[in-house]
Amino acid sequence: MTYDSLMIHYGELSTKGMNKKAFINTLYQNVKHALKSFGVGVSYTHDFILVKLDDASYEPVLARIQEIPGIQKISLVAKVEKDMNEIIKACLELVSKEEGKTFKVDVHRVDKAFPVRSYDATCQIADEILHNTDKTVDLHNYDIFLKVAIRLDYAYISCHEYPGLGGYPLGMNGKVMHLLSGGIDSPVAAYKLLRRGIALETIHFASPPYTSAAVIDKLTDILGELNVYQRNIKLNIIPFTKIQEAIYKYVPEPYCITVMRRMMMRLAVGLAKAHHCLAVSTGESVGQVASQTLQSLIVINEVTNYPVLRPLAAEDKVSIIDQSKKIGTYEISIRPYEDCCTIFKPKKPKTHPSLLEAIEYENRFDYSAMIEEALERVEILYVEEGEVHEAVQE
Amino acid sequence: MVYLDHAATTPVYPEVLDIEKEAELLYFANASSLHTAGRKSSRALEDARKRILNCFGVASTHTMVFTSGATESNNFFIKGIALKYQNRGKKIITTKVEHPSVTNAFRSLEALGFEVVELPVNDKGELEPQTLEAAMDQHTILVSVIGVNNETGSINDLKALSAVVKKYPKAFFHSDLTQAIGKTKIDYSCLDAFSFSAHKFGGRKGVGGLVFKKQIAPSPLLSGGAQEFSLRSGTPNVPGALGMAKALEISLQGVDGKIAKAHELNEYLRKSLMDLGEGRFNSPESGCPFILNFSLQKHKASVMIEALSEQEIYVSSVSACSSKSEPISHVLEAMGKSKEDAGNSIRVSFGYETTKEDLDAFVSTLSRLLKEVHPR
Repeated sequence: MTYDSLMIHYGELSTKGMNKKAFINTLYQNVKHALKSFGVGVSYTHDFILVKLDDASYEPVLARIQEIPGIQKISLVAKVEKDMNEIIKACLELVSKEEGKTFKVDVHRVDKAFPVRSYDATCQIADEILHNTDKTVDLHNYDIFLKVAIRLDYAYISCHEYPGLGGYPLGMNGKVMHLLSGGIDSPVAAYKLLRRGIALETIHFASPPYTSAAVIDKLTDILGELNVYQRNIKLNIIPFTKIQEAIYKYVPEPYCITVMRRMMMRLAVGLAKAHHCLAVSTGESVGQVASQTLQSLIVINEVTNYPVLRPLAAEDKVSIIDQSKKIGTYEISIRPYEDCCTIFKPKKPKTHPSLLEAIEYENRFDYSAMIEEALERVEILYVEEGEVHEAVQE
Repeated sequence: MVYLDHAATTPVYPEVLDIEKEAELLYFANASSLHTAGRKSSRALEDARKRILNCFGVASTHTMVFTSGATESNNFFIKGIALKYQNRGKKIITTKVEHPSVTNAFRSLEALGFEVVELPVNDKGELEPQTLEAAMDQHTILVSVIGVNNETGSINDLKALSAVVKKYPKAFFHSDLTQAIGKTKIDYSCLDAFSFSAHKFGGRKGVGGLVFKKQIAPSPLLSGGAQEFSLRSGTPNVPGALGMAKALEISLQGVDGKIAKAHELNEYLRKSLMDLGEGRFNSPESGCPFILNFSLQKHKASVMIEALSEQEIYVSSVSACSSKSEPISHVLEAMGKSKEDAGNSIRVSFGYETTKEDLDAFVSTLSRLLKEVHPR
C-alpha cells in the first residue's frame, strides 16, 4: 500500500455558494494545464480535485500544485475500497512506514450510509496500530496525524498535508491592466494580484532611443517567471518618446514626473477600456519616491475614475525585496536597463504638486492627440510559458 | 548593416570556417593520443604553431602555447611569472590603461603580497619610457604594457620600453597585443612574451595564444594532462589552432596597404566629424588608425549608440544606458580627460572591408540624430 494520489482541497472556494461550480471548473482547468507535462490523471468532484500519480513521484507534482492560486491545502493520499477490513489494513501499512512514535487518528464519515460510525472506526483503526506497532496514541503531541475520509466513492487515507498558495483560481475575479516598469516593485504587485485570482495584461512605456530595447528582454524574462501563475501574459508596449519629449519641452522641471505619470495613467486606462479590463493596477507604494506621496497620488489619479489597484500601497521596501526574491524576479529587476532615461529625470521633483498647476502645464500641448496616436501604435507581445510571441494584428 | 565595432570582434573569414570544418573531420582524434590518428592531429597542431611563429618572424627565438584567448594568455603569463619568480623580487609593473584581463590579473596578485605599480600615461595615452625607468628597480620581475589601447588606439613604443626593461635582467617584458596584430607594425622580437585572440583578426572566438621566448616557463594556470609543454593542460583545439593560423596569414597579407587605407579612412572620419562640430577626439593622431574614439559635445553617448543601433549602425562606448551604473572610462580618465568626456565617449573601429560609404552612413545618421535627440 502506497500513497497514490494528491488531493487538492478547495479553500476560499467553499464560501462562494452559487459560484462554486464556476470556481471549481476554472481551478480544475488551471490544474489540468499546469500538470500537463507530468502525465498524471486529473479528475474532480464537488469536494476536491484528485491527481492520480501512477508512476510519477509526488514531490515535483506537489511543488507545481503549490504554485497554483486558489488552493488552500493539498494532501498525499492513498485510495482504498470502502471495506472496513481493507481500510484498517491500509492504515496499518501506511502508519508502520512512517517515522514517529506517537499518532492520532481522525475519521471523517462523509458517506452517512457507511455502516461503521466515525468513532467506532477510529477506535478500530487505532487498536490495530497499537497492537501491531510500537507506536502509541497521543492526542496532543502527535508525530503522525492519520486522517481517514470515508467518501461516497472511496476511502481516502493520508498522513501528510501541505499548504497551497491560497487566494482564488485565476480568472475568476476578472482582468486588470497592470503597469510593468521592470523595477523591483511592479512584478511583486503582479504576483499578489495573480495569487488573488486576478488575471493580468501588462503595459509598458518605452521611449527609444532614450531607453534601451534591452528593457523589453528584461520584461519578457520577468513575465516568464510569472507564467507559473498565469500561463499566457500579454505585454502592451506603448511608444512614449513623443510624449516624453513634449513634457520635457513644455512642463517646468519639478512637474515633469507628475505630468508624466498622469499621461501614463491616461494611456493605461485608455488601453484597459479597449481590452475589457476592469481596473488598472500599479506597483506604487505610498511615500517611496516623489511621485508616490499621497499628495502626488491624488493629482495623478485625478485623470480617471477607473479603479486603480495598488497592492503594495502599505508594504515596505524590505518586504517587497524579499517577495521579489521568492518569486524569482529580483535578479532580473536589478539588471541595469531602466525605463526612464536620466535625461528626463528632474533634479527636484515636486512631492506636493498642485492639481491646478499640473493641469495648466499639460494643457500647453495637445496631449490628447498624442495619447490617441500612442494607443494606435501599441506593440503587443505574448509571453507564454517563457516563450515570447508577437501578436498577430487584431 | 554598418558594422563599425571591429575592436570588439571581427567577422570570421569564410576560409577559416572551411579550414576548421575540414580539420574537424580530418583531425578529430586527440592530439595527445599515441596512435596514428592522434599523431596526425598532433602534427597538424605543430604545423599551425610553426606557421603562426613564422608570421611573427620569431620562430628561432620564441615558441607559443595555444589558449582560449588573450584573457587566458594574459592571466597565464602574469600570474605564472609572478608566482614562479617571486623569490627574485615582488614588484610587478603595468599601466593605468590596460585591458581588464591585465589590470585585474595584476590586482589579484596584491592579495598574495606583490607590490603592484600602475604607471600613469601622458595625454596621448602612451607610457613614456622615463616613467617606466623611474619605477623600475632590482625587485621588479614583470612589466606588462599594452601594445595598442583597445579604447583609444594609442600606441606604446614597445621597442623603447623594452630597452628600459632590458637594463634589469630579472624583469620579463610582456605586452597584450590583441588590438595591435594586423593593425600596426610591431617588432615582436623585442618582447619576452605577448598575448592575442583570434577573433580580433578574422578568426573564431575561443582561441588565442601566448608567444614567449623559448627558455621561459611560467607556472601553469591549468593543471592537468601536461599538454602544451606542461604549460597549458587541456585537450588541444586543433581545428581552432589551424583556423587561427589561417586567419593570421590572411590578415597579414598586404598589411602595409591595409594600414595605409585605414589611415585614409581615419583622416576622412576625423574631418567629417569636425565638420559636424563633434571634434572632441580622444584618440591621438599618432595612434592606431583602425580606432577612433571621441566624446560627444552635448549629447549622451549611450542614447546615441542606442539610436544608431536602431538604424543598424553598430559602434560602441564604455557607458551603458543606465542610471544605476554610469561607468567612466578609466583609460580616458588616465589620459587627463574630464569626467564628462570620460563618461561620454563613442568608439568607432574599422575592419579591412570598411569603406568611405560606411563612414558616410555613420556620419549622416549621427548628424540627423544630433538634431532629433535631446542633449543631456
